[in-house]
Amino acid sequence: MKLTLELRENAGLQWVLERLSPMSPFGRTAARDLRWYGPGEEAALEEELDNVALSMELWNAGASRPQELPCGCGGAELDPAELKDAASALRGVTKQLPLFHDIRGSFDRDPGVPFDLVELFEIKHFLVTLERLVQAYDAMPALSGVTFPSLAEALDLMDPDGRRLPTFTVANSYHNDLAPLRAEKAKLEKAIRMTPDDKRGPLLEKRRVLAVQEDQLELVVRQDLTGKLMVWKDRFLSSMETLGRLDLIVAKAKLALRFGCVRPTLSTDKSITLRQVRHPQVEEDLRNRGESFTPLDLDLGKGCTVITGANMGGKTVSLRSTVLSLLLCQCGFFVFAQSAALPLFHRVELILADSGPGAGGLSSFGKEVHLLDKLLRETKDQFFFVALDEFARGTNPQEGAALARALVRHLGSLDCVALMTTHYDGVSDVAGAHYQVAGLVRDIQGDEGDDPRKRIARRMDYRLLPAPPGAPCPRDALRVCRLLKLDDTLMELFQADL
Amino acid sequence: MEHLLAPLVGDASPVTVIGLCKNAGKTTAMRRLMAELGEERLALTSVGRDGESTDLVTGTEKPDLYVKAGDLFATARGMLSLCDPTLEVVGLTDVMTPLGPVAILRALSDGYIQLAGPSAAGQLPPLTKTFLELGAQRVLIDGAAGRKSLAGAGVEGVALLCTGASLDRDMELVVAETAHTCWLFSRKPPENPALRQALEGLEARFALFTPEGEPLELPLDESGGPRWNKLPRQHLVVWAAGGIMDPLLKTLARRGAPTTLVAADATHVLAGRAALDLFLRNGGELLVRRELTIAAVAANPWSAYGWHFEGDKFVQALRQAIDLPVVNVKEA
Repeated sequence: MKLTLELRENAGLQWVLERLSPMSPFGRTAARDLRWYGPGEEAALEEELDNVALSMELWNAGASRPQELPCGCGGAELDPAELKDAASALRGVTKQLPLFHDIRGSFDRDPGVPFDLVELFEIKHFLVTLERLVQAYDAMPALSGVTFPSLAEALDLMDPDGRRLPTFTVANSYHNDLAPLRAEKAKLEKAIRMTPDDKRGPLLEKRRVLAVQEDQLELVVRQDLTGKLMVWKDRFLSSMETLGRLDLIVAKAKLALRFGCVRPTLSTDKSITLRQVRHPQVEEDLRNRGESFTPLDLDLGKGCTVITGANMGGKTVSLRSTVLSLLLCQCGFFVFAQSAALPLFHRVELILADSGPGAGGLSSFGKEVHLLDKLLRETKDQFFFVALDEFARGTNPQEGAALARALVRHLGSLDCVALMTTHYDGVSDVAGAHYQVAGLVRDIQGDEGDDPRKRIARRMDYRLLPAPPGAPCPRDALRVCRLLKLDDTLMELFQADL
Repeated sequence: MEHLLAPLVGDASPVTVIGLCKNAGKTTAMRRLMAELGEERLALTSVGRDGESTDLVTGTEKPDLYVKAGDLFATARGMLSLCDPTLEVVGLTDVMTPLGPVAILRALSDGYIQLAGPSAAGQLPPLTKTFLELGAQRVLIDGAAGRKSLAGAGVEGVALLCTGASLDRDMELVVAETAHTCWLFSRKPPENPALRQALEGLEARFALFTPEGEPLELPLDESGGPRWNKLPRQHLVVWAAGGIMDPLLKTLARRGAPTTLVAADATHVLAGRAALDLFLRNGGELLVRRELTIAAVAANPWSAYGWHFEGDKFVQALRQAIDLPVVNVKEA
């Protein structure tokens, strides 16, 4: 599945990814091009989650103030001494990661075109850094599927004297003619230094000839080295890919530790169970305003579940939290919840009503219908998840409600899990399940001077409560408008018309 | 070889060789300095230079520098084919130039090199630090040429100012311009410690202070530019981060109260002598946040355009106008 920018941004995945901090160019590539674990890849996903769990345990053990890890993390069974050693080995690995430069471009060449001196330096630097990283990695419990192909021969080639210095020069040992030529040139250069400026001409000319010869010999050596190194091209590239994978796993682990994320379990009955799920982006926004996020509990079975509730009651946030959890899980991340049991979908989609600019000439209604149609066409014979925010709200209410009902019915017959918010009555009647936002339940007086958003938040119970099918949608628009301090004249007219 | 420049720069490092104009003899001075400092392990780079081997403006050839085995230098990767010592790559910086990233190299033999280092001033200090870590005893920087190119192009350590006939046919004008530049370089930071502290790390384009360092609100117009005619009629300190041109000096000169103008450093003052004179005669004072030092002035009586001055007369005229050591690099 392709994670489009629109989906990443709408779900809040982009926000999460911006807080992911891979340290190497290879890790950054892996994070840009996340692997999607679909149905049938459960084993591979579990392996990735095992890796993240192990890295979390090791990273946490190496921290100055280790946290109490929630259950589900910590895959390795290590005694305290082993754990300490393994934790410092992981720190040894991550110390090397930022030192890598991206040299993939250098290998994208015809083997006949020689590497220049700087490229050879970069390759040696890569090999020396990789050797140090692999030494540290070998001292920790291996992450599954993360093994480095041997590049020992390449390192020996690039570092003939075995000193592992972080420098590169075309050493005399690469070509038999280099040492005598360089000795002759050095002798001449010494003579030049002893000669007054105005008499150096002929000597400098002689030196120029030798310098050209040296350059030609160095070219021969560079061609030879290039030919040999290019034989190991696949190993180089696969090392870089493995480095990226390793880097990404550690970055995922650090992210999970920072935000207290939990390992998702994979459900086998095509149902979603989320306990105390959060949306970190909304949570941070609220925290900055001095408010707090109300975590949500959701159980979604096959077919369409409908959420109704007051305006500003967090319905859309519940959609985004669910979609974010699914996307994170299927990309091998821990999720922002207390626990999560999720199935693997072929496709996860979030259809929001406000289309904004860039809708390609479609109205918000037009865009929703177009996206839905596209999704339904593309997911024939696939197991998919779709979240729809107030579907069909942009058209006349009678037709809109009928379309929403029809969609809920249709989704109930497909191989999918769907979640839809709506203000239309009668939609929940045909849904598989129905949740309602607890709503504006708290009676509070005497805060008229405060920010309207704060006043609504104070009165709102954001929890999602299971509701019977067909329970009517709450009528809260009037109260919300009053709390938002809508113009008095307009309010009077509104009230009179109700 | 007679040591002419080495005693003048003393132990200073880095030394930045700058020119008042193109073909002012920067390379000659640089070569001379390298020769005189032949016992030291030098590290070389350039700033604000594009690296072409022929000067695009005058068509004169940019000469190579001849380094000795053991010297370090930083140049763009694309210049390496023009460098002929046996080379060891010791590092690759993240400084990008049109000719590729800047690499740090050690010459394992003597030979000719071409420098194309960083183009922005901020990239120099980390580079000079790396040089010292690699064992360099002194860093020489081939600096910019021309007043306008100098602005913010990074003068590190002490400067060696090259001036010469290429600036103008008129010797008196060349002497006056050189003296003006030396005067600018002798500007001092404010004496008031509170004001000095207030200016530290300031990034705003303009800012207003009392002479005691108290910040004042700068009246702005709709476009966010300062409204100089709304400044209170009292002695004020005006901070200007960017280049200082004629209009600003003329405006401040006529505002009817004394002004202390603080520039980032001397290279940022691009205004002509006339405007500066007007500003100073109306009670203006020019200070700098970062003090720069010129160790000596190197004079080149030969121009790239066919005319030249009499060497002795030129040097004598400079010595009369400037309170700094003046040497004729060509003749020496």
